[in-house]
This record gives sequence, structure tokens and C-alpha cells, in this order.
Amino acid sequence: MRKRVPALGLALCLLLSGCSRGLTIFSNYRRLESIELVRTVTVDTAEPGVSVAIYGTAGEKQEARMYEKEGTSIGIAMNELTLMPLGREAILSHTENMLIGSDLAEDRLDEVLDYVERFSEMRLDTGLLVVLDSTARELVSGLAGEETPASDVIAGLSENIDRVGKGYIFSCREIVSSLAQNGVALVQCVRGVKEEKLFEKRGEMNIEPAGFAVMRPDTVVGYLTEEETLGSMLLLGRYRSRNLDVPVENAVLTMSVDLVTPEVKPVFAHDGSLEKVDIRLKLSSNLVSMEGLVDIRREDVREKVEEGLSGIVESAVSAAVRRGQEMGVDFLDLRGILSRREPIKMEDIPEKWEDVFPALPVEIRVESVFSRTYDIIDPPEISGREEGGPWKKLIGSLTDN
Amino acid sequence: MEKTDRITDRQLTVLIFVSLLSPMIRILPTSAVTLGGRAAWVSPLAVFPVSALLTAGLRALLKNAPEGVGLQDAAMLGLGPVGGRIFGVVSALWLTFYGGFLARSAAERLLSTVYPNGNPPIFVVVTLLAALVTASGLTKTLSRTAEVLMPILLAVIAAVLLSAAPDVTGENLLPVTYRNWEDILCGAVPIFDVTAAFAYFLFLRGHVARTPGKRPNRFPWLTLLLLVAFAVTFFTLGTLGVNLAITMENAFFMVIRNIKVFGVIERAEAVVVAIWIVTDFIFLSAILMIVSEIWRTVTGVRRRAFFTAPSATLSGMSAFLIARDAFEFMKWSDFLVPAINLGITAVIIPAVLAVGKIRKKY
Repeated sequence: MRKRVPALGLALCLLLSGCSRGLTIFSNYRRLESIELVRTVTVDTAEPGVSVAIYGTAGEKQEARMYEKEGTSIGIAMNELTLMPLGREAILSHTENMLIGSDLAEDRLDEVLDYVERFSEMRLDTGLLVVLDSTARELVSGLAGEETPASDVIAGLSENIDRVGKGYIFSCREIVSSLAQNGVALVQCVRGVKEEKLFEKRGEMNIEPAGFAVMRPDTVVGYLTEEETLGSMLLLGRYRSRNLDVPVENAVLTMSVDLVTPEVKPVFAHDGSLEKVDIRLKLSSNLVSMEGLVDIRREDVREKVEEGLSGIVESAVSAAVRRGQEMGVDFLDLRGILSRREPIKMEDIPEKWEDVFPALPVEIRVESVFSRTYDIIDPPEISGREEGGPWKKLIGSLTDN
Repeated sequence: MEKTDRITDRQLTVLIFVSLLSPMIRILPTSAVTLGGRAAWVSPLAVFPVSALLTAGLRALLKNAPEGVGLQDAAMLGLGPVGGRIFGVVSALWLTFYGGFLARSAAERLLSTVYPNGNPPIFVVVTLLAALVTASGLTKTLSRTAEVLMPILLAVIAAVLLSAAPDVTGENLLPVTYRNWEDILCGAVPIFDVTAAFAYFLFLRGHVARTPGKRPNRFPWLTLLLLVAFAVTFFTLGTLGVNLAITMENAFFMVIRNIKVFGVIERAEAVVVAIWIVTDFIFLSAILMIVSEIWRTVTGVRRRAFFTAPSATLSGMSAFLIARDAFEFMKWSDFLVPAINLGITAVIIPAVLAVGKIRKKY
């Protein structure tokens, strides 16, 4: 009897397994065929408040589907969506990206973030993008093709955008954290472009990065240009790689540029005030392709390439810093970077950061290194190499004798 | 006391450790961050000397107490039968209320994170019922359960925190300098509050069988508990940043919501919820057991289990009556309960034992 009671108790625990619908008391059990896995959500301004669309995949063929509803708030619209005859339960727990229209971003970013934070089904690591020149719904619907679900296209952008140095998709967590910490955050913008279809079954539109938006919880402070976005990525450590063209003599070299961590140092005056900020960046570059011919084994040519790259990067970083100073908004969190470097001295600077920052001199130095040319060396007509080289000459002279 | 219900000192220590994990992962990092700001992740390190001092102090005070003497017996020896009984009744009533507070906070936490449309009563009743069954049993059963669960809990906490590691950034954790010493100490208060609760478990000391020549050593477990506190605060603060973490009731859970392991495993919240439930269950069972133990000693009734069901009922009532909603409950959990807790564990209990020691009763 002593063993039978616990055994019975343990057997009853099988009811909690969730393995079958009939027997289980596990409330979250759902059949795979009955769920709509949402990968992308769009939110736009609309009457009476917002329009929310969810893009999911369902069924064995993973067909792409879209459902849309309006409401006074995101919560209301989401509620309405559950009443739609989806035939499936919308699961938002694996939402990858959320796209919001620029109209909504202008004054209601905090509402979107608040919804993501509070609604336990959503993940804070969901990527957030602002759509320019169209509504988010128009863009995502335009992306969707018969064989290219919009969510796949956005996921592709999300994975590769920082690899080509065109931006970085910040997650809701990063944006909320930055807003809480600095009162300002960067958000990746995108826009839809109509392009010739590469194949019939793709969507009408393509998506392209459109720089960062500098945002406060209830307003957009400004939009950054491509150069300013690149500069911001370099300073914020969000940069991975980018190909840049450098003209040298009669050729144009396309260089792949990798960044070694930037170094940002404060320089203080004798009275403890902040005199300037010293920014140093180290780049490593590799030759990807060459248009025209130039002897890259010549040291002066390589120096020109390095100088050219340094100039481009210096200009981008300088543009980003200058833009922040013009706006009076420290979106690069220079204060945070400097405080981590010199916490005591930064705490003791006599002026307020808000007063110092707009006119703070910033010295940028970029050190570029031309690392390699991959497996290709120059053709003989450029390098001056003769067939066989010095060995052939030596062997030839020996055999002649 | 039943002679068969004996535990080793190690088992008591493990029971304390697993029980205190419950409030530790409930209040952290929010309470520490609210008081200590960005420097809160250093606070667990600052707690160690103070907690170690309290642990060593209480051990020294009870050093010569004979085997089978728990805190309540010691109080009755030190303060006399009347004074000791008053201390016992006050402690039992407080712990009964505290048990209700624990059950309610466990329910509120599940509601705010997983079941937004639920109601506290069902969670309170189920938790108390489960704890009642265990608390009615032997001390060694509960201690053994804690012993079995401890490595699993530690492994899960370690796995969860390591999975969160890629999101940790230095920007959210630094700078912290010597100038932040006040913040560090402020952040240490709620952590010390939790560790000091080990004093309640001295009521179960009478069940500990002494091994000749072996002295109880709780420092490794204290270190481990503070290491967990450090890790939870460090990873949460490092992921969310101070200003975001401060706005959240369960910032640790928010970090878990984001965990992705090699792009294969996502949404591992259930694991954390399981840790919450298991540690809450152990702690609540231990509290009910302690309350019953106090009543048994105070009244002289032989069977401890006689008091367990009434204590659980009273705890349940206090869980329902303590607050009408989450906002009212927050007022209790923010200051009042931690303050009383600290007063009893770090002031009253040492003082009671000191009186007995001065009067050379043990």
C-alpha cells in the first residue's frame, strides 16, 4: 500500500504531460495545425488610432498569411485580430521583427514599446524598424511574393544589414534601454523600392535600408544620412564590415573594411574641464576587386589606399558626431563612453554635459592597414615580373656555362 | 521531539540555501537596483562580511546549547518560561503572516509574468496545500527534498544565466568607482535582509544530530547564495541597464524572455517558473514547519503536525487579506515586510540569544 499510493500519484502526473488532447490538463497544449506562427507585425497610424497587421506562416507548406485590424490602441487592435476568422490561434511569442510607419514613430514610439514590454507573449528582443515613404503594411505586403514570404525577406535584411555596413536593426530591448538610459535611441529605418522582378514569384517591392532615425519616446529628433549612419555604427561598435571604393591612380580598388574596436578618450584641461574628445579608429582592409590596373605591391600605392579609406571613415565618424552636436542630442552616448573611460574626472567636470557637448572639439584619427589581396597577385605587366623570375635566369646562366 | 526526525547539519544548511533562493531570485535585482543603482551588482560582495558576521555570531551564541535545543527552547531558557513564550508567540504569528505574504507574492509574480488574466486565490491555495502536506511530515523529508533539488536548481540557474551572457554589455554595468560606496551599501540592504532570514531556521536546530568533533560551517553555502545573488544582478543589469531594470517588477524574467540558445532554443521561461515554484514551495513548507515547531515548544503538545493545518489556514487568510490588489501588495513588499523581517532576524533573535548567553543558561 505504501508504494501503491505514490505510484498512483506519479501515474496521475502523466496527465500533465501535454502529449494528448483528450487526457491532458496542461492548458497550453495546441496542435501544430491549429496555430498561426507570427513572424512579423506591422503597426501604422489609422482611424481610430492604429492599424495592426500580423504576418504568419501556417500549415505544412508554411503558407504566408496576413491579417489586419484597426483599433484605438495596439492592444485593442490585437484583441480584434483574435476575433477574425483566422481558423488558427495567432502565436506572437516568436515574432522576429516589428515594423512601424513613420507617422506612428513620430509621436507614439513609447506606446509601441510599452506594448512589447508588458505583453508577456512578445519578446523584448524583437527587432524594431521604422518604415519611410509608405505605411509599414504597404511595404510588407509589397514584399510578399508567391515564393518569397515577406518575413523571409525582412529576416534576410536583418541578418545581413550590418555585414554590408548599411545599418543595424536594434531590438526593442536595446531601444527601450537606450531611451531609459540616455533619453534617446537609434532605430533602423527602411523603405520599399519598386524594382524589376528577378523572377516571377517574388513580391512587387524590395526593401532597402534608409539610415538611422534618432528618436525620443514621443518624437523623432531627426533622420541620419547614409554617411552619418555609417559613422554611428563605427562608434557604437555595431559595424561588422563594408565594401568601399578607393580611387588610386588609374584604378578603383574596392576594399572590404573591418574595424578594430574604436578608442574614445577624453582630454581634460588643467582646471578639470573637458578640453576635447580624442577618437581613434583602427581599420583593417582587404582588396575585394580592382577596376583598372595599379601595382598594389608598391608601398606608395598601398599608402594611398590606406589614406583614402581613412579619409572616408574619418568623414563618416565626423559627420555622425557633428550631427549629434548640431541636434544637441548625444545619440552616440559619448558621455557614457567617456565616463566609463575616466569615471572620476568626468564626474568632476565643472560644466553640465548638455552645455559642453554641442561645442565640444572632437579630434578623429583613423589608422588604416592594407592587410591582404586574397589569393590574387598582380599580373606580370603591372608587377614587372618576368616568367620564371630570377631562378630561371640563374639556372639559365649555369646551364649556358 | 520525535527521535527519528533527525537531520544532519548539512541537510539543515541545504534546506536554508534552497529556501532562501526563493526570496533571493524574487527580490533581485529590482530591489537592489532601486536602492543601489548601477552599482547594485557589486552589492552582493559587500553583503558577505556582514552576513558572515551574523552567521558566526549566532553560531557562537548557540555553541554551548545542548543537542536537541532549538531557538524556541533557547529563548525559553534565556528569557524564562513567560518571556520565552511571548517571544515564541510573537515569532509564530509573524511567521504565519510571513508565510501568507510569501504565498501571495508567489501568486502575484506568476500573475504578472505568465497568467495576466488569473486571480491570486487559486495560486495561493494550491501553493499552501502543497506546502501543508510537506510541512505536516518530517523535517528530514523536507531537508532531503531540498538536498535532491539543490543541484538541479543550481544547474538550471547557471544554464539560464550563461545563456543570457551574450546580451550583457559593459555599458550597462560601468562605471562603478569607490565613490559609489553608498550605492553599493544601499543595494546590499535587501540582499542582507534575505540572507539574515537563515536565523528563522534556528528554530529547527533541535532536529540537528550533532557529529562529535564537527562544527557546522555555513560559510560555503552563504558564499554560494551570494554568488547566485551576484550572478542574477550582474546578468540582469548587464542586459537591461539600470534605468530599464528599475522599471520592472521581475527584471530577471524579462531577461529570460529574450534567451536564445544557438538560435535553436527560445522562450525558456518555463524553466525559470519551475525554479520559482520549487523554491517557493520549499520555503513555504519550511516556514509552516517552523511555525508548528514553535507552537509545539510553546504549548508542550507532542505532535507538531497538530499545528500545521491551522497555521496554513491562517497564512492563507493573511495572503488574501494583506492586499486587495497588486498595488496595495507592493506597499507591503517594498518596505514594511522586509523591514520587520530584518528587525527580527538581525536584532531580536540575536538579542534573545545574547540574553540567554549573558545569563549563562547555555
